[in-house]
Amino acid sequence: MNQEPNNPIPANPATPPPLAPPPEPIPDKPGMRDLFEALLRRPAELARHSACDEGSTMLRFALIAVVSILVYGFVLGTFAYGKQLWAAPLKLGGGLLFAGLICFPSFYIFSSLAGSRASASKMAALLGGMLALAGLLLLGFAPALWIFAQGTASFGFMGCLAIASWLIALLFAFKFLRTAMGETGASQKAPLVVWYVIFLLVTLQLSTSLRPILGTSDKLLTTEKKFFLQHWGETMGETLGETKEAKKEAELSSDPTQNPFVPQR
Amino acid sequence: MHGILSPSASSLTAPSGREIARVALIAAVGFGLYGLTVGWWRSPVMGAYVAVKMPLLIALTLAFNGLLNGLLGMLLGSGLGFRQSLHALLSAFAISGVILGSVAPVTFFLAVNVPAPDSPQAASAHSGYLLAHVLLIGLAGVTGVVRLGKLLESYCSTKAVARMTLAAWLAGNAFLGMQFSWILRPFFGTPKLEVAFLRDEPMQGSFVEAVWGSLVRVGGGLEPVVYFFITGAVALVAFIFIQNQKTNKKPRP
Repeated sequence: MNQEPNNPIPANPATPPPLAPPPEPIPDKPGMRDLFEALLRRPAELARHSACDEGSTMLRFALIAVVSILVYGFVLGTFAYGKQLWAAPLKLGGGLLFAGLICFPSFYIFSSLAGSRASASKMAALLGGMLALAGLLLLGFAPALWIFAQGTASFGFMGCLAIASWLIALLFAFKFLRTAMGETGASQKAPLVVWYVIFLLVTLQLSTSLRPILGTSDKLLTTEKKFFLQHWGETMGETLGETKEAKKEAELSSDPTQNPFVPQR
Repeated sequence: MHGILSPSASSLTAPSGREIARVALIAAVGFGLYGLTVGWWRSPVMGAYVAVKMPLLIALTLAFNGLLNGLLGMLLGSGLGFRQSLHALLSAFAISGVILGSVAPVTFFLAVNVPAPDSPQAASAHSGYLLAHVLLIGLAGVTGVVRLGKLLESYCSTKAVARMTLAAWLAGNAFLGMQFSWILRPFFGTPKLEVAFLRDEPMQGSFVEAVWGSLVRVGGGLEPVVYFFITGAVALVAFIFIQNQKTNKKPRP
């Protein structure tokens, strides 16, 4: 049986030992690369690390999150081009920070209810880590999404892809947070699950409040209030350059009986 | 060649750039040779196009999903980084490529023996030819995936981690690979259409939308029926994964 020299796992004839080498500990003063590695590979160790008590760590996580989401937003902006190239990243970046800010108080309370003894600064760093991780995953999805953004004109299809990638990113982000909060003493699941639902609903509603993110409009933001499910339902069947209003106009002009400006016989 | 067909877990610990290039070259040659025979039936020019497009399809899929594959490999606890993920996936493609490359002489024989594209039997010949290649590609693909699964199981700490990583990679790469196969069409060359490297406006439309349209047509325009079956399929896959995780939670000794 071949055994890697630094692999401490004993040989077992039935099942060969895993070869993945044990990860190296996080340095005392972690750099950007160390934080990146720790986010992906060692969330528990990261939560225990003293760096999480420092404000600079939270800022670095926020920077990773914002840069990642800006790139992701730019890719979504290439669906409609025009001013969406800068509007979509701006809205997504601002929206993510806004969601993080308005959800932080509830995060602190629900984490404490779950049994966490972490300080507010540590919780802020871990929340920043969660957003950074979600942002990194979105960055991973971005090249694939760009390909689809160039091929389709359907809001429903593109919207489903964007929402699906956000849900997958959040799934991993919540998993990170659960592991990290567990290290701070949070032993009860229910309060954290409630907070996950709150955060998820906030971000989904932001996709409607900050509309248009995929499509185009004369206004940068709309004042019309709508629940996100209603908005999705209304735009699901629309395509780029053929909104509901445009469709209605086209129908009116093609069907003379429906057009009041066409003389009826 | 045995190393390519049965890659060992130790090859994933620290793959060198040279090793990755070697595996990539083998995959490219295998798929290129096979691609040549796929397009040959329509015309030798089409064969040359497909010989380029098949390896290109894999290269583009891995390039565009490289970041995501690496991130998922790390997040799911496989212990694989970006370079290792790329090497593992390339190994799987190399296995499929070697299998397809090995049957290339047979498929070439098939290409020169089925009725020509301008013959009266062209439509049935095209269907049979398509079916034979779909079966072969499917067989090679499944073998590559099974071998990749075994490779991951021997590298990762638990079977559940290996399976989750494999499933995540498969889902992401299959989804994007389908779109790239749509963009890079034609591969087989419809008899009535002109031979071309790419169709006019290749980026227009998507594979998924085309399939969706067909499903809705098959369902008699009943979108809820299609939604129901897709949701059911997704729920079934999720259930299998959850069960799989529950039964494989314990790490190996």
